[in-house]
Amino acid sequence: MTASMYALTVRQVRLRVSGEALFAPLDLHVPAGTVTSVIGPSGSGKSSLLAFLCGTLTPEFEAEGCVLLGDDDISELPPEKRGLGILFQEPLLFPHLSVRGNLLFGLRADGGRRARHRIADRELDSMGLAGFGDRDPATLSGGQKARVALLRVLLAKPRALLLDEPFSALDDANRAKVRQLVYEEIRRRKLPTLLVTHDENDTAHAAGPVVALTPP
Amino acid sequence: MRRPSVLILLAVSVVPTFAGLAAALWFGLDAAGFMRVLDTPGIGLSLASSVWTGAAATLLSLVLAHLAVAVSVTGGWRRRLNAFSLPLLAMPHLAIGIGLALVLAPSGLLLRLLSPWATGFTEPPDWLSVQDPYGLSLIAGLIVKETPFLVLVLFAALPQVPAERLMLQARSLGYGRLKGWMVAVAPLLQVQIRLPLAAVLVFGLTNVEMAIPLGPDLPPTFSVVLWRWFIDADPAIHAQAFTGTLVLLFVTVLAVFIASRLARLIAVLWRRWAESGSRLRGERAVRGALDATLGGVWSLGILALVAILLRSVSGPWRFPDILPDSGELSTWSAVLPVAGNVAETTILLAAATAVAGVILVLPAAERLRHDAALGRKLGAWLFLPLLLPQMTFLFGVQVLLVYLGLDGTFAAVLWSHLIFALPYLWGVLAPARAAIDPRYLAVARTLGAGPVRAWTTSTAPLMLRSMLLAMALAFSVSIALYLPSLFAGAGRIATAATEAAAAAGSGTLRLAAVHAILLAVLPLAAFGAAYAAGAAVFRNRREVPR
Repeated sequence: MTASMYALTVRQVRLRVSGEALFAPLDLHVPAGTVTSVIGPSGSGKSSLLAFLCGTLTPEFEAEGCVLLGDDDISELPPEKRGLGILFQEPLLFPHLSVRGNLLFGLRADGGRRARHRIADRELDSMGLAGFGDRDPATLSGGQKARVALLRVLLAKPRALLLDEPFSALDDANRAKVRQLVYEEIRRRKLPTLLVTHDENDTAHAAGPVVALTPP
Repeated sequence: MRRPSVLILLAVSVVPTFAGLAAALWFGLDAAGFMRVLDTPGIGLSLASSVWTGAAATLLSLVLAHLAVAVSVTGGWRRRLNAFSLPLLAMPHLAIGIGLALVLAPSGLLLRLLSPWATGFTEPPDWLSVQDPYGLSLIAGLIVKETPFLVLVLFAALPQVPAERLMLQARSLGYGRLKGWMVAVAPLLQVQIRLPLAAVLVFGLTNVEMAIPLGPDLPPTFSVVLWRWFIDADPAIHAQAFTGTLVLLFVTVLAVFIASRLARLIAVLWRRWAESGSRLRGERAVRGALDATLGGVWSLGILALVAILLRSVSGPWRFPDILPDSGELSTWSAVLPVAGNVAETTILLAAATAVAGVILVLPAAERLRHDAALGRKLGAWLFLPLLLPQMTFLFGVQVLLVYLGLDGTFAAVLWSHLIFALPYLWGVLAPARAAIDPRYLAVARTLGAGPVRAWTTSTAPLMLRSMLLAMALAFSVSIALYLPSLFAGAGRIATAATEAAAAAGSGTLRLAAVHAILLAVLPLAAFGAAYAAGAAVFRNRREVPR
């Protein structure tokens, strides 16, 4: 996999609902391979900000400002063209596909079926999940699910990563492990990453700038 | 058993269904009879056209419904699709069938709209555009009716699936709206709609309501053959119908079995498609084509309604004219006295079905409000009659009614209608009851209300909207039912459906149109009234459940 060398830039972003701004105009610059955390109490507009970045904001919002990946303005692109991978609080593995099927769904198409299967199995192996390919995702532990979800996102070759409180549903033992794994991959693949959370432990381990969403 | 309310429901629905099946087997299992049925000229073709039209219509409706749900939800016009579906859902098969016959015929509304400016026709062409031998008009008719039904069922399944987040996940992995939905969300919906889908297939294979006005004629579909045998005056031919319904049952069971196998195969291929990782290009073009197809299906349905209205009031209607010459009320004045009586019976029967149905279902819904598993099981049992060919067990029921001396009575017909209304009533009322926060009742009781007063003051008002909807639904189901009225009514109970079907069967579409108006308008009126009543009662209340 090629390493991404882009920075994720958010420039003068404002979101309004019926004329009322959710937070003060937001500027962020996230260099490749680093994590910037955005914190704020619930209702401060964190999830709306993520939806804006993904391009899935519902029409009742008015949005201003732009999102750049490297020099590309991606604000007007449909969600699937933006190259942003997202990890949610729940792993959201597709329950009708096997573990391998979930990874193959993420894996960008190249090579035949066999070759793709080999890639998926190799990646599973690298995460310590060798032999899990045919399993039903429902039979996995929370930590295993989280790792499969991470792999699935990475196989789609995103140019940047968004993390939506991705560790808060895990138990204490798994949380530290998965968190370390995610941050390692981010550094290794040089992905600019935006973490949205209210958990200060997450931001501390991210070792990057922390931006608080403030009311306007 | 300490659940008499549940047992009563089962007694009303499942017992007569099984008794009817048993009677059909008892009287129909006859080797010589089978030989006679299979020796009937053209019977193979009849069976084949039943299977072909039913299977093709079901498959196409399913595909269209999934695509419609996908593009409307992801495109933000879900409410519009809902609104468009309602009139088509409310109109009975028979009405749409008769209407489409009037639209698609060589002298029908569609060609009138296009002639002579586009087609150059000044005379109706010599086409077999309805009742065509390939059953295409029948398939089109079934699609117009079943697509909105499956859309409704899919929407009902949607809250069980975290569709929004699955879509976000799929799109962030680089998938467009259409493939994302089809691969990540649609399979989860599909597993939930298997029963209603099977009912659609069974109806497609066995219906007469659409096959009479639209189906092929030489030979007709197998169910229409049976229907003709049944209304035949010759007792030998009448008896043949019994054996025939067993053949129909066998073919239906076989078809459902094959369909379930096919579904597994499709699921495997579907997973392959998901795992191929291919991100579709050109989704926009597909969506465009889809919008046009859906628009076409919906327009056909609305045109059918317009055609019924026009044809029922028109006298002579020269070909390329879009509107009849003079709004002669010739047909109306001739049939109005008769239609008046028919309307009275139809409405009375439908209202009785709605009221009796709600009274039967409410106690069971109350009883099972905390037991979702048992509730689902009961729902599946009540659904059983919709998974059988109506003819097969209704034949048996009719024999039993004759034996009991009850055939042709209002009560017998009402009972037969309840069998078909109960699954819908349960489907609306049970979830509505289960959704009410139990603490409301606790509040009422601790404030000093007895169980009855607590129910009437807290539970009933919160369920009122659902009750109104359920009654409108049961009312419409009853209006639409044809075979139950025919069999249980022994020809003595005339409803809009029996009259419309008889007229359509004898080829007098104009008379059929008059009765079809009742069929089309009464359900629409019922839903309108239910909605208006709910809105009026709770006009100043925002949080009463809908």
